[in-house]
Amino acid sequence: MKISMNWLNDYLTKTIDSHEVERKFNLMSQEVEGHYPLVDAKELVIGYVETCVQHENADKLKVCQVNVGKETLQIICGAPNIDANQKVIVALPGAVLPGNFKIKKAKIRGVVSNGMICSLDELGVQDFDKAETGIYVLDEEAPVGKDPLEYMGLNDIVIDLDLTANRPDLLSMRGIAYDIKAMFDIDIEFNKPKVKRKKENRELNIFTETKDAPVYYGQIIDQVTIKESPYWLKSRLLAAGIRPISNVVDITNYVMLEYSQPLHAFDFDKIKSNKVLVRKAKENEKIITLDNLERNLLSTDIVITNGDKPIALAGVMGGLETEVSESTKTILLESAVFDPVSIRKTSKRLALKSEASSRYEKGINHELTKEALDRACELFVELADAIIIDEPSFYNQLEVSYQEFNLSLAKLNQVTGHTFNIEDVEAILNRLDFDYKEKNDEFVVEVPPRRLGFESYQDIIEEIVRIYGYDKIGLTLPATPTEGKLSKKQQFKRDIRNYFSHIGFYETSTYSLTNDFLATKYDIEETSLVKIMNPINKDREYLRHSTIPALTEVLSYNHARKIDDIFLFEIGKRYSQENEVELISGLMQGKYAYLLWQKEAMDVDFYLMKGILENLFSDLKISDYDFLVPEKPIPNLHPGISAEVLIAGNKIGWIGKLHPEEEKEINVKNVFVFELELNGIYDAFDLVEKQYEPIIKFPSVSRDIAVVVDKNIQAKSLIDTVNNISNNSLKSVDIFDVYQGEHLDNDLKSIAMSLKFENKEKTLETDEVDSMVKRIINALEKKHNAKLRQ
Amino acid sequence: MQEKINQLVKEAKKEIESIGNLNDLNLLKSKYLGKKSEFNQFMKELKNLPNEEKPKVGQMINKAKNEINDHIQIKKETIEQEKINKQLEQETIDISLPGKSMPVGKKHILTQTIEEIEDIFIGLGYEIKEGPEQEEDKYNFEMLNLPKDHPARDMQDSLYISEDSLLRTHTSPVQVRTLLENADKKPVKIIAPGTVYRKDDDDQTHSHQFKQVEVLVVDRLASLSDLKGTLLIAAQKLFGAEREIRLRPSYFPFTEPSVEVDVSCYQCHGKGCSMCKNTGWIEVLGAGMVNKNVLKACGYDPEEFQGFAIGFGVERIAMLKHGIDDIRQLYTNDLRFNSQF
Repeated sequence: MKISMNWLNDYLTKTIDSHEVERKFNLMSQEVEGHYPLVDAKELVIGYVETCVQHENADKLKVCQVNVGKETLQIICGAPNIDANQKVIVALPGAVLPGNFKIKKAKIRGVVSNGMICSLDELGVQDFDKAETGIYVLDEEAPVGKDPLEYMGLNDIVIDLDLTANRPDLLSMRGIAYDIKAMFDIDIEFNKPKVKRKKENRELNIFTETKDAPVYYGQIIDQVTIKESPYWLKSRLLAAGIRPISNVVDITNYVMLEYSQPLHAFDFDKIKSNKVLVRKAKENEKIITLDNLERNLLSTDIVITNGDKPIALAGVMGGLETEVSESTKTILLESAVFDPVSIRKTSKRLALKSEASSRYEKGINHELTKEALDRACELFVELADAIIIDEPSFYNQLEVSYQEFNLSLAKLNQVTGHTFNIEDVEAILNRLDFDYKEKNDEFVVEVPPRRLGFESYQDIIEEIVRIYGYDKIGLTLPATPTEGKLSKKQQFKRDIRNYFSHIGFYETSTYSLTNDFLATKYDIEETSLVKIMNPINKDREYLRHSTIPALTEVLSYNHARKIDDIFLFEIGKRYSQENEVELISGLMQGKYAYLLWQKEAMDVDFYLMKGILENLFSDLKISDYDFLVPEKPIPNLHPGISAEVLIAGNKIGWIGKLHPEEEKEINVKNVFVFELELNGIYDAFDLVEKQYEPIIKFPSVSRDIAVVVDKNIQAKSLIDTVNNISNNSLKSVDIFDVYQGEHLDNDLKSIAMSLKFENKEKTLETDEVDSMVKRIINALEKKHNAKLRQ
Repeated sequence: MQEKINQLVKEAKKEIESIGNLNDLNLLKSKYLGKKSEFNQFMKELKNLPNEEKPKVGQMINKAKNEINDHIQIKKETIEQEKINKQLEQETIDISLPGKSMPVGKKHILTQTIEEIEDIFIGLGYEIKEGPEQEEDKYNFEMLNLPKDHPARDMQDSLYISEDSLLRTHTSPVQVRTLLENADKKPVKIIAPGTVYRKDDDDQTHSHQFKQVEVLVVDRLASLSDLKGTLLIAAQKLFGAEREIRLRPSYFPFTEPSVEVDVSCYQCHGKGCSMCKNTGWIEVLGAGMVNKNVLKACGYDPEEFQGFAIGFGVERIAMLKHGIDDIRQLYTNDLRFNSQF
């Protein structure tokens, strides 16, 4: 809502500074979005063009002698419409026009010019004068030597409020004045409109068939002269951000701005009936609206009809057929109340948002429906030489009721944590113009109908506190005795993030919404997809099942920008219709650690990534994990370089190298990824009790063995065999060499293991160790046909 | 005899001086002090001497042996020292060459910001609650005093999954879920961080996906001044100990009264600059007293309980704190950006 300070001052008994208005609105009411002069120009004066002759050196220029009051100035003007005997706007030397355009005394083609004769456009004013072809010519009454902006009412300051949904009362200048009264504690005055009506007893029947149009007034206004509005009216509309059109339209807009009551003027002769029936539209009923578009209606829309067909889409837009034109003589003026929800739905569906519809949507003060009509009538007489015929026809189904709320001083103080006294509250309610009764510290507050959206005493508290001042409320902390802590799961998630970031991974933050292809790209099993009914676009239509496509996208983005060695992780979710499963996903590409000048690098490979996960598990004291060859290939991963990850026998995710096709697609080689269900890890971690294990005092004994086996035998199965056959003296088995090649058959490989034995109770004897090793070798021979390599 | 010994000591010293390594020194040692050495010979000859001379000559021999031994010892230390010096000289490297490159990772700035906010509130005794991103309309809107036809639903254009479920537009439904779960209707003091969605086109200041941290206190006396005190602590922890706060009226359907919260500008300290658009204040978040309709919907008696809620926009806080000028940076993951925090 744009407030004209000139207009506002009409209602005030004391002038107030616009900066103070801005400050108070910000702290006590609504946020101020803008604060600016309507016309940003100074040093303007009304001049009278005494003579206007051709410039001796220029065809298109005229030399004018302009009387500016105290003196007569010679000014060169190039406008085609400049002439003698005109009253014009003169920018004197020293004036600054919008766009920091400085006016100086100058010589134009050898002739001195002492200023500039202005068009409204040069003053930054559009739409004021539709016929403007050059400089603006003022009316004959314009006082020479005086400020033209003041004369035209353009000397205004605008304050632009960003209104919240609970303050539709501030969509009217009268509502603004009430708020000013409360904030400044000053008095305001409104004039009651005075209308002279001519009694003719013309027949006009107004009735309704819907509850969604509870109040409707129709006023016949005759002998209307359609013309331009006076300066003051145009200026005020411009300040409010509304384009002046003609007196009829301008009056309806002006009254709407004054009362927040939308009005609509029909050309009465074009209605072709003396009936107005307000009803719900029929399905597929049609109307051509003022913007010359045919609208298909639904039974939820409210229409104004002439008893037969729609002549307006109620509260949203008038019909083209009954539009007021230059030849209009008689108008029917509508002032009505429509259901906010219905208007909102219609305006939203048809994407027709207007000043009127947005007021109806938020609710208007039905107490003023008739007064607003009278105010318009007053202006029609004044500005359109019209005759008001009879009292308006109307129906009114609304019962006037005032909302009342009880609020005790104790409640107010309890909610605010501040000690108000009776006098504080009374003073504020008076400033707000809310009627109240007070007895034993209990207030009964009556909310006037201009203030909508009150639901409880909490709204009264808000009113009291905002006028009292939030800054005067104290600073305390809740006394609620509670313990603040992260849950074990929350701490676990932090630990996971710490782990990956500490070993060199960047955490990413990517979008959950994607397209269906990327959403399902890494699906191993059928998982339901979540689709957005009203997506932003096709690429944000589905919730993803995997974070990996986003990570590979981040990889190619960075790779394309010549960033090497990329390690990423994210805690994301797999969204399905049934649930949301948290995932920890990672990606590695490039060299993990390197020293260029020594040609030394640790390239990322499967085993590095596997080791990173193994380390994580072991740090979390999870031992029951496994990496298995996938039962069926994992989509888009290299079938030979990928594994399923299991914890406690449950598949919790996978790890592997991107499929060569996929690497080709993103144009990056050797990309390794993993994706694990966070809960799969957490559930195992949750069982872990960190219990102290005594450190063994007796020395351990190590033995290395190397066996030759078929090359297809997995190292893991050898280790399993070793573990199974050994007693608890076996502390660890570590593979320290894998060899294929020279001195070995093509289908064989050699695996070297380091076995470590120790015993809690004693130092192990050589014999004992020897026999254990022997048992291990025998088992490997038997189970895997392994041959001890000598 | 005396002369022979002196002569021998003199020779030995000379020879020791000329030795350059430990091996030769050891050989020399056995030559002069070993079993077959001349000194040993002297000792054998000792028995041929008259008794009264024996002790004197014996002492003389021992003194000479000790002297040689001392010399050998000193020489040994010198040689070892030289060896170490030589080693040090050989091993000296160009310390100006670059070190081995190890990867450096970082948590995302949004995670860091959320953890910072979480830690502030954990310190104030708050628990952390989470909820689903696919939310029922009931929890996201209706029970938060936003019935189906409420105009304020337009403020949060939403991404719907079905008629009655959507991607949550704020983390406030976690409020509702927490209050509902709390069967014995005890006081509640929680924060709820999480990802939320709105139907916005992504541009410099809008993101269809973003993060919020919601704060909720419901108790018998949790008041507006408690809200102000809590906000001041949060503002000072996030933006600096000298910060002040300012509350301005606002509107959210789920709180009444509702306020916008400004923090005094940390760049100009309130004097006015481009950061605060010359107002001295920066809008950081919204808050308010819980609307009694919300309490009622969640089974709390609004005549007995009251409370406050705060909504942090994580992106906004991170952008303000670090001078980030485009919200999309937070979701692009350009590592030149992610590595800065």
